[in-house]
Amino acid sequence: MLSQQNFVHLQEFVWEIPATFRDDMRVPARLYADEELLNTALTDNSIVQLVNTSTLPGIVKHAIAMPDIHQGYGFPIGGVVATRLPHGVISPGGVGYDINCGVRLLVSLTTIEEIRPFLQEIASALYANCPSGVGARGSLHLTNTELDEVLHEGSRWMLRRGYAQSEDLDRTEEFGRISEADAKYVSEHAHERGRGQLGTLGAGNHFIEVDRVAEVYDQATAAHLQIYPDNVAVQIHCGSRGLGHQICEDYVSRFQKTAQDYGITLPDRELVCVPFDSWEGQEYFRAMACAANFAFANRQLLTHWIRQTVDQVLAGRIKDFHLRQVYDIAHNMAKIEEHEIDGHRVRLCVHRKGATRALGPNSPELPADLRAIGQPVLIPGSMGTASYVLTGTAGAMQQTFGSTCHGAGRVMSRAKAKRTVRGVELRQQLKSRGILICAGSMSGLAEEAPAAYKDVSQVVEVVARAGIARKIARLEPVAVIKG
Amino acid sequence: MNSQPGLEAPISAEEVEHVADRAFRVRGRNLAELLEKAAQALVALDEEAPLSEHFVRQVIEVDGSDRETLLVNWLNEILYLEQTHHEFYDHFLLSDVTENHFCAQLYGRQLDHSVTSLKAVTFHNLEVKESSEGLEATVVVDV
Repeated sequence: MLSQQNFVHLQEFVWEIPATFRDDMRVPARLYADEELLNTALTDNSIVQLVNTSTLPGIVKHAIAMPDIHQGYGFPIGGVVATRLPHGVISPGGVGYDINCGVRLLVSLTTIEEIRPFLQEIASALYANCPSGVGARGSLHLTNTELDEVLHEGSRWMLRRGYAQSEDLDRTEEFGRISEADAKYVSEHAHERGRGQLGTLGAGNHFIEVDRVAEVYDQATAAHLQIYPDNVAVQIHCGSRGLGHQICEDYVSRFQKTAQDYGITLPDRELVCVPFDSWEGQEYFRAMACAANFAFANRQLLTHWIRQTVDQVLAGRIKDFHLRQVYDIAHNMAKIEEHEIDGHRVRLCVHRKGATRALGPNSPELPADLRAIGQPVLIPGSMGTASYVLTGTAGAMQQTFGSTCHGAGRVMSRAKAKRTVRGVELRQQLKSRGILICAGSMSGLAEEAPAAYKDVSQVVEVVARAGIARKIARLEPVAVIKG
Repeated sequence: MNSQPGLEAPISAEEVEHVADRAFRVRGRNLAELLEKAAQALVALDEEAPLSEHFVRQVIEVDGSDRETLLVNWLNEILYLEQTHHEFYDHFLLSDVTENHFCAQLYGRQLDHSVTSLKAVTFHNLEVKESSEGLEATVVVDV
């Protein structure tokens, strides 16, 4: 049983389990948290899962967990692991089933008060036009050829077909496309699951949320991003849907045997991995890139439908309403990046599982107009609570391979949430606080009750004070659309 | 879901608390019963499917390099079929079960849309263990 005594308190908000804690650890395991969040993490198996990730072959510096850490499967949610290329491993379980699950933020120059009379109409129209639920199917029906084009091109396909504005792609991680994607490594099962799901939200914690910009902490940076107090913002949280789930399933299952063939032994079978430069590793990476591109395209198509829907509702009522994209981030992904280790630039495979890339200022991967401020980082809170816009920092580049937290982090099981919260009552409570809810499942709503999550503000405070992100603005929800 | 291991039939399943996802523990007198009971436990995690008069049957074969892989591949195939065919299964007949292969018939109903809220079955800490009643495994499901 792990306890606080197993950690060395390196500095404020940084705790470390030395590599000597367990024989199979290759590097120390490091957690970003205040004392309360550390003690919360010790109530489930997430710290054991963090320690397990420190055993992955090729891992460098330390296994990392963010303050929103909670128990997952294999990796903890909130985990970051970087392996040295070319021989370090890539782990499908370290990316997770919802490959490139992520968040997109749109903002308007219109205030929430201006659109408040039409909010119920907007929420209902969004719920009707943006299909939700795990098996939901979108209205965009793709041929086999078109689906493969989407897998290779991501958001660029959407731009070509008129579902994107070119500025959207500039404000998307990887510009909305990972070039290594190769659909021949994506199974027929995965194709079939994905074919009808482009432009769908999914269930669980995925959502579309209309927000008010409640507070700005850094006016200059916020203005650069066109984020102004009291204005309308819209968040989209979803991923690669059944296509990504199937790709992960295919490779986790296949690598059970392959990992053994490479002589890799691990404390948890969900951590299965293969050397990045092996042909099996390359096949997974190319398939993962396809799912990532599908997810970028999925959020782009939802963006198009959101713009179209809101425009229709506000036509003739509000002049010049436009939703401009602030950024789109992934929080389940393995990326090939260069980072400085012991004074040398080193190519790494950075796994972020429930963690967000947070590149600091002057990073060459960013579009020119964002290099001065660093990468925007989007942190959705639990339903009915605040969300945050942050930016990446030099501190994140030095400490966490340019990574930070991804959300609030669960503390209560879904089963317990359903036993203690009634969805109908929760919807009423949120309504009395001025938050409209459109949801397909009341039990699904109960699972996502705010009480089931940590305090997102506390999580954000930790990453900000630890120097691995900078606070720019806080958003508060006014309407939530869920599966 | 039957959560009374003391009952006459030694096969049972019970949901286990998991912070972010769903999990269940399943027991069977042999591998065939474990696989069948696991399928029933998996579909019981979802809300009840709406009634439909349109009955369906699927016939599949499942392979795996060991018992755990066989179990995960089987359960994931059920999710795949439910999501792509918009069906919900509640009866499973297994035959020719070995450690690496079996045949299965899935019986259920056609729906307007898929109702499952489950994404995937994981290998997390998965081990099919020998127990006094036969075999036992705890399965974590990503939602």
